[in-house]
Amino acid sequence: MESRLLRNFAIIAHIDHGKSTLSDRLLELTGSLTQREMQAQVLDAMDLERERGITIKAHAVRMMYKAKDGQTYQLNLIDTPGHVDFSYEVSRSLSSCEGALLVVDASQGVEAQTLANAYLAIHHGLEIIPVINKIDLPSADILRTQEAIEQAVGLDATDAIPVSAKTGQGVAEVLEAIVHRLPPPTGDPNAPLQALIFDSWFDPYRGVVVLVRVMQGTMRKGQRIRLMSISKAFDVESMGVLTPKPVEIAQLSAGEVGFFVATIKTVSDTKIGDTVTDDAEPALAQLPGFEELKPMVFSGLYTVDSHEHTLLRDALEKLRLNDSSFFFEPESSAALGFGFRCGFLGLLHMEIIQERLEREYELELITTAPGVRYQITLTDGSELDVDNPSRWPEPTNIESIREPVIKAQILTNEEYVGGILKLVEEKRGKQLNFEYATPTRVLLTYELPLNEIVLDFYDRLKSVSRGYASLDYQLAGSWVSPMVKMDILVSGEPVDALSIIVHRDFAYERGKALVAKMRELIPRQQFEVAIQAAIGAKIVARETVSALRKNVLAKCYGGDISRKRKLLEKQKEGKKRMKRIGKVDIPQEAFLAVLRLGEDQQK
Amino acid sequence: MPQPPHNALGVYISIPFCRSKCTYCNFASGVYPASEHTRYVDRLIEDMRRSHAWAAQMGVDLPRTVDTVYLGGGTPSLLEPHLIERLFAALRVEFNLTADAEVTVECAPAQIADATLVALVESGVNRVSLGVQSFIDREAHSSGRLHNRAAVLSDLERLRSAGITNLNIDLIAGLAGQTFASWDESLAVLLDTGIPHASIYMLEVDEDSRLGREMLAGGARYHAELVPSDDAIARMYETALDRLTASGPGASLAQYEISNFSRPGLASLHNLRYWQRRPYLGLGLDASSMLLDSESAYALRSKTADDLKAYLEDTESPETAWLSPDRRHEEAWFLGLRMNSGVDAAALAAEFGRTRVAPALEVANRLAHDGLLVKDEGHIRLTPRGRLLSNDVFQEFLSLEADESEARPPVFESALESRN
Repeated sequence: MESRLLRNFAIIAHIDHGKSTLSDRLLELTGSLTQREMQAQVLDAMDLERERGITIKAHAVRMMYKAKDGQTYQLNLIDTPGHVDFSYEVSRSLSSCEGALLVVDASQGVEAQTLANAYLAIHHGLEIIPVINKIDLPSADILRTQEAIEQAVGLDATDAIPVSAKTGQGVAEVLEAIVHRLPPPTGDPNAPLQALIFDSWFDPYRGVVVLVRVMQGTMRKGQRIRLMSISKAFDVESMGVLTPKPVEIAQLSAGEVGFFVATIKTVSDTKIGDTVTDDAEPALAQLPGFEELKPMVFSGLYTVDSHEHTLLRDALEKLRLNDSSFFFEPESSAALGFGFRCGFLGLLHMEIIQERLEREYELELITTAPGVRYQITLTDGSELDVDNPSRWPEPTNIESIREPVIKAQILTNEEYVGGILKLVEEKRGKQLNFEYATPTRVLLTYELPLNEIVLDFYDRLKSVSRGYASLDYQLAGSWVSPMVKMDILVSGEPVDALSIIVHRDFAYERGKALVAKMRELIPRQQFEVAIQAAIGAKIVARETVSALRKNVLAKCYGGDISRKRKLLEKQKEGKKRMKRIGKVDIPQEAFLAVLRLGEDQQK
Repeated sequence: MPQPPHNALGVYISIPFCRSKCTYCNFASGVYPASEHTRYVDRLIEDMRRSHAWAAQMGVDLPRTVDTVYLGGGTPSLLEPHLIERLFAALRVEFNLTADAEVTVECAPAQIADATLVALVESGVNRVSLGVQSFIDREAHSSGRLHNRAAVLSDLERLRSAGITNLNIDLIAGLAGQTFASWDESLAVLLDTGIPHASIYMLEVDEDSRLGREMLAGGARYHAELVPSDDAIARMYETALDRLTASGPGASLAQYEISNFSRPGLASLHNLRYWQRRPYLGLGLDASSMLLDSESAYALRSKTADDLKAYLEDTESPETAWLSPDRRHEEAWFLGLRMNSGVDAAALAAEFGRTRVAPALEVANRLAHDGLLVKDEGHIRLTPRGRLLSNDVFQEFLSLEADESEARPPVFESALESRN
């Protein structure tokens, strides 16, 4: 198709601001899907995505739209992941577009995530059409939302399109605006091939499917291509576009978006942001912006039933086929047996993997406290990266420790600033900036240790702001911190899987809170159980779970033995879901107690 | 304790009618109009008649000889005298009640009319169990009981005068508002009555009772906030053990089961049969049966509908499940250990085979090491601590893999095949 009839665009929106509903309406209006085929919110295909209301994987859908000027346009909607854990993918998706719809909820206003992605889009030179959604709600305030967009994002919002994705009102105007306000792609179909990879996944029937935006040149079925960052060549076996049903095509030329399947065996070969070129006539350079994705958050994954260890390994291998951004390697724990050290892009990414393992593979998992990777300089001058507390060096051998730091933007209403400042101070934050984005909205910019973010930061932030704060962050190097390893002893025995790394000055407080939380989470047993927190040989906190006094059924039930048996079986099942360490049954949640320390402060 | 033979049956008859529903009650009983009573008794008699054919069809033994009968509730004493008489007359037609059969009826204090008492005696009832729960009027009242202490004492008087001396009193530890002092007082009054049998229950908190639901929800209805803590209830139970079994005038009861205490020779034979795994037939609403198939060593458990309408209209057939010898062996442990006489290892080995019993004996050894069981002279029993943690003990004898099966025992099936 002539490139003047192409439009590539993304939708930028905060969770719940209606991105999926709007996408569905666009599909419906362009006739891409009949009403009957519409499964509510088509684009969020994964169950988990639909449940959480966020997009985890990028998608690209081609729609053919006959505009009022009588011409038929090819519109490519590139859906972007909706969470800060996946911000690199977002930046690559945006690089594939010339424009974006900035969707803002008419009653909620602009949120930090939207702001961050809107800035990212502006930075990538995208043309932005503000869309004010949910105007059907009684609380909708179009004028104020317009003002908020102007003040916070710095965009002219006079031409913002008021819509209700739910009722369909205004959606036709959005399509016209895409055609008339967004620029067509530029690019020479005859130049050497440069195609940007913005997503890939493993399909059990087709193999590795790669989504690309062709920037220059033309990509054809049968072509021998080269992935530039890994310098490997493959043959393109088939190509297609999603409408959203996959449709085979023979070629994609400059400006177009689609997928291809080549002789690629593993997803990890197709790195997001990499450039696809022709093997015989390669482009001179890779497209800019490519980065290797590095896991930021680490934790141990174990099965409750140690016999399921190999099932876990198989499941992890299968998940990795589809998600090369997480990594795992075997580790073993004295307390939990054989398991895996896993690295994730962020805490949400960790939760998603964990949930998929439990749901799709029916595994009962124990996840150890998430942590980050520290760079440690030893007294002998050597350097060491440690992401597992059990590999922490002897304190006397440590010269210095650097911990990863992020730059966080928190956007909130004025009245919650006090509580948030207290929280970020407590989380060892350093203020970089404090500004009013609008007369009532404050944008805080802080440097914070990533270690503090992966614990309970989101929940605490949500709670101190009653949900009226949003967060975005980027990695911002590292700084030196006096971190120490804190061990947890259960009945006098250290449990390696419970060890965490904490800042020395906060160790006492955290230890106290942690053992108190564990006392709540560990059920009473037949004997008293002591829970202690220790740094080296020094006990910093102790709690006791008193012995269970009574677990007895004292009733006849007219000979209804099945009822008694069911109760016993239920209790026994409950115990089976716990991990027995020594003689103590520890429930799964207790291993993540450190994530729940903030709960008490929230009350 | 000598075990009576397995070739006699116990009959449990459920009478689900109550004048009011107690807050702690988790049975399928309720307040239904008296007009239902006649229909209900008709249905009971019909089931009684059909029971022989049903047992034959299921392939289990239903002995004609009956040595225990138990009318439980609900409140069986609410049945009108002529209905009580009809029920027992029919029972004697369908079964052979032995001359010394133990025939128990549960009664609510202050709800035994004179004519009812006469009907009970004339029907051959020789044991009455009184649901007292507390001798403290305030506690009884707030639990939804309709009697006071004076009414209980007067009922005991009347029952004894009528010739029923084999009497039981139920008490519950853990009622709302109960204190250590008030519990002591209830125990003292119970001992004062010179009663030969007592059942000491502990409040059960589950979804099946109003009070339990309220407690789980953290509410304050039914005085839920005044229910003693688990630890306090455990202490009350221990106090009851001390008081009831202490030597001295009036107090010469011995514990024979987790909740049951009696004078020598006056243990409840009907309740014992549950723990001794002797066969019983349950009739009426939400009633359980356990019958043996002597050919296959399987047992059949069945349970009737728990919905009164479904029962009266006979629209629901009982739920049944076959117990394999493996499962019966497990139950032999968790039922046998409830009794102070414990489990006789040699008898179990004779019944179920050494290979089946050996792993359970290992479990028992481990639990003995933890101080929850004791072994002496081939008998394995709960320790006092083990009794309070008996659910933890019993679980150890369950294998979760052996699941209840709807299938008929293999012997029965092969018998069917050979017939074809």
